[in-house]
Amino acid sequence: MADIIDTTEKETKQFIVVRIGGEKFGIDIGYVDNIIRLQKITRVPKAQVWFKGIINLRGEIVPVMSARIKMGLEDDVFTNASRIIILKLEEKGELGLIVDEVCEVVTLVTDEIETPNVDTGTPGKDLFINGVGKNGDELISLFELSAIIDEKDNN
Amino acid sequence: MDVGQYLEIFIDESSEHIQTLSDCIMTLEQEPDNKDTINEIFRAAHSLKGMAGTMGFKRMQHLTHDMENVFQEVRSDKIKVDSSMIDLLFKCLDAIDKYVENIKESSDEGTEDNELIIKELNDFIAKANGEVVESTSAAAEEKIGESQESSSSDDEKYSSIELTDGEKKSIDAAISDGKKIYGFTVYIQKECLLKAARAFLVFRAVEDFSEILVYRPSSQDIEDEKFELNFSFLVAATEDMAKIKAAAENVSEVEKVACGEVTTFRIEGEEPAEAVAEPAKVENAPTEIKNEQAAPAPKAVENKTAAPAKKTGAGKPATSRTVRVDIEKLDLLMNQVSELIIAKNSLVSISSSDGQDNSQNLHDQIEYLERITTNLHESVMKVRMVPIESVTQKYPRMIRDLARTLNKKMDLVITGEDTELDRTVVDQIGDPLQHLLRNSADHGLESAELRAERGKPETGTIFLNAYQEGNNVVIKVGDDGNGIDTEAVKRKAIERGIVTAEQADSMSQKEIVNFLFMPSFSMAKQITDISGRGVGLDVVKSGIEQLGGDVEVATELGKGTIFTVRLPLTLAIIQALMVEIRDEKYAIALGSISNIEDISVNDIKYVQAKEVIHLRGSVIPIIRLDKMLDIEPKEEEPDHLTVVIVQKGDAQAGLVVDNLIGQQEIVIKSLGKYINGNKLISGATILGDGEVALILDVNTLM
Repeated sequence: MADIIDTTEKETKQFIVVRIGGEKFGIDIGYVDNIIRLQKITRVPKAQVWFKGIINLRGEIVPVMSARIKMGLEDDVFTNASRIIILKLEEKGELGLIVDEVCEVVTLVTDEIETPNVDTGTPGKDLFINGVGKNGDELISLFELSAIIDEKDNN
Repeated sequence: MDVGQYLEIFIDESSEHIQTLSDCIMTLEQEPDNKDTINEIFRAAHSLKGMAGTMGFKRMQHLTHDMENVFQEVRSDKIKVDSSMIDLLFKCLDAIDKYVENIKESSDEGTEDNELIIKELNDFIAKANGEVVESTSAAAEEKIGESQESSSSDDEKYSSIELTDGEKKSIDAAISDGKKIYGFTVYIQKECLLKAARAFLVFRAVEDFSEILVYRPSSQDIEDEKFELNFSFLVAATEDMAKIKAAAENVSEVEKVACGEVTTFRIEGEEPAEAVAEPAKVENAPTEIKNEQAAPAPKAVENKTAAPAKKTGAGKPATSRTVRVDIEKLDLLMNQVSELIIAKNSLVSISSSDGQDNSQNLHDQIEYLERITTNLHESVMKVRMVPIESVTQKYPRMIRDLARTLNKKMDLVITGEDTELDRTVVDQIGDPLQHLLRNSADHGLESAELRAERGKPETGTIFLNAYQEGNNVVIKVGDDGNGIDTEAVKRKAIERGIVTAEQADSMSQKEIVNFLFMPSFSMAKQITDISGRGVGLDVVKSGIEQLGGDVEVATELGKGTIFTVRLPLTLAIIQALMVEIRDEKYAIALGSISNIEDISVNDIKYVQAKEVIHLRGSVIPIIRLDKMLDIEPKEEEPDHLTVVIVQKGDAQAGLVVDNLIGQQEIVIKSLGKYINGNKLISGATILGDGEVALILDVNTLM
């Protein structure tokens, strides 16, 4: 209980923790509209490679992209744990992001989020991260969503 | 008076009246003695004036009143109609139109008085009455000078500010610093609730450029809102007065700002000095009129009217877009909705009863429901449809103006203006069509001499024909002018390095003409006001393609050019043929399908290494959709292929599909903004089972 009281006094942000490949990433909950199970994705020919296609989300057409391909990882393997995170971005509308697993929701104190050191890890992947948060002993990379929807090809 | 609720009606009706006036004045030019037309004009002008007056748009009322006077004289045969009068009347109409535009955007008519036009109108009447009119410009100046003098006593309260000793000292200090002293009187709108706050905003805006030395009423009183609808202040500034004035005018709910440079001051208790202020630029600037002496009015009007439009442009239009609907269409809609409810009720009763013949009954009801929804869709679409007339009615006037500026004789013939199109399409088709017409007028038609040499009638003809063809509306815009010199286009394309000379030689005339649709490919030797900036036809093409249509050119050198614009009737819902390729489903708009053929593989021939079929006398290229859409090819080709023959204009193509699913009414949804670079797919639709199918864009496939 002490933990909760402690954190509420400081400025906090909630993140949805997802697994993509072997790594865990946090997505600012403010941008998440919905989390849905995998459904049939209709392929769109000649679209950008990281777009898996489009789905029907309650009568609306929503494009779905593969976070793995966008980040230059190997293609998705759909399992029972795979989910589509529906992101709501103001200017361009809704967008689905395929992740391997949705783990939990964490509350991070804004002050404790560190900006990542540019020299660590592979250079390509760093572009998608705008901070690293600590949840207990675990480190969570926080997604920079504008980089995800950016047109640049990071393959 | 709160007139907000009448505003929309006012705007609608005044636009209508302006259009009537424009049409009638055009007719009047052709038949100056037509009494019916004059009466019609008189009626429209009169209603316009009455409406403007009721709504409290004084300037507009004033202008229409003076215009009406001219018509009055025409009606009583005192004035003969001539082209200079027609020009003046059109100028007048433009000014009135500007007022209406301003009102549409900001519910306010703006501050343009159009005194020059009014003056010209009055001169006209004076001339008709046999009075000698002095040189117009001098008279205009004088008159405006007068009006300013009179207005200075009303509006420029700053000029009668009486200063205390302390204030006088600070002004003297500022003047000795080389600064100028300007007086301002700001009028706040009657409806304003927080006058003090507005005043504060005005001061803050003004203080960006200058230092405020004197407040009337005192700053404390202004803060406490102890003032009527206006307040005055004196500022010391090095900046231009117009800049400060603009800053003050930018504050919302400020009705107007009167200002001028102040050179002599009244000290409290002293006798009032004679000349108080040097009024500069109240509403109409005398300097501007001097410049325009040679060619009075038109420029000044354009310059000044542009300013308020820009100022208000940022704000939201005060009214929403509306469609006027025939009451019969609404009645029909209502009937269909009641039928829909009946159909729903019978479905409910079937589901609650457990009779034997349920499935047959259910089937009947669903068929019934289907019929109703189709009708309902049709009716709703009809409600959204407006005749193309609302766009084309502006063109005769435009062509008339063009004829005068270009000094060519031309006639515009419009047919099929009652052809109906979806409101959104009609709204956006105006600019591309206008562009094509300008093109015809400027590049297409030759000069009168050249026409005579070629044995053509001296007056060139530009035509616009609209008609419905299946699910499309076709609009043809053309002229009987020079036509496109394809050789010149070819040379230009080679010059630009778009194609090599050899490539160009093997190209068909059609392909060459299509170069004209490429961005920044202008054929004009000189840039004119009308066209030739190289942003022409490509804008037309992209504009039309955005609406889901396409444009084609047919031209013959020396004979003329025809642009054919093809537009879909509606945007949201279409009839489509659903086809299957492997396990993917695609929709093809029924409007572009001509027929469906079952073809043996042996019938496929090769022309230039491309697959074609010979069908009833025509050679049709075959498009393998699976290849186009990156679908895995079949391991083994079947003996027979199902080919959907589609057409675009005169061209045909055969699309190879695996299976036909059937005809269906589909709702078009956009793919969103993320997926791009995809011209083949024009959208997506959701099928009955919730699955998503893509809609093929036949135009880009071909």
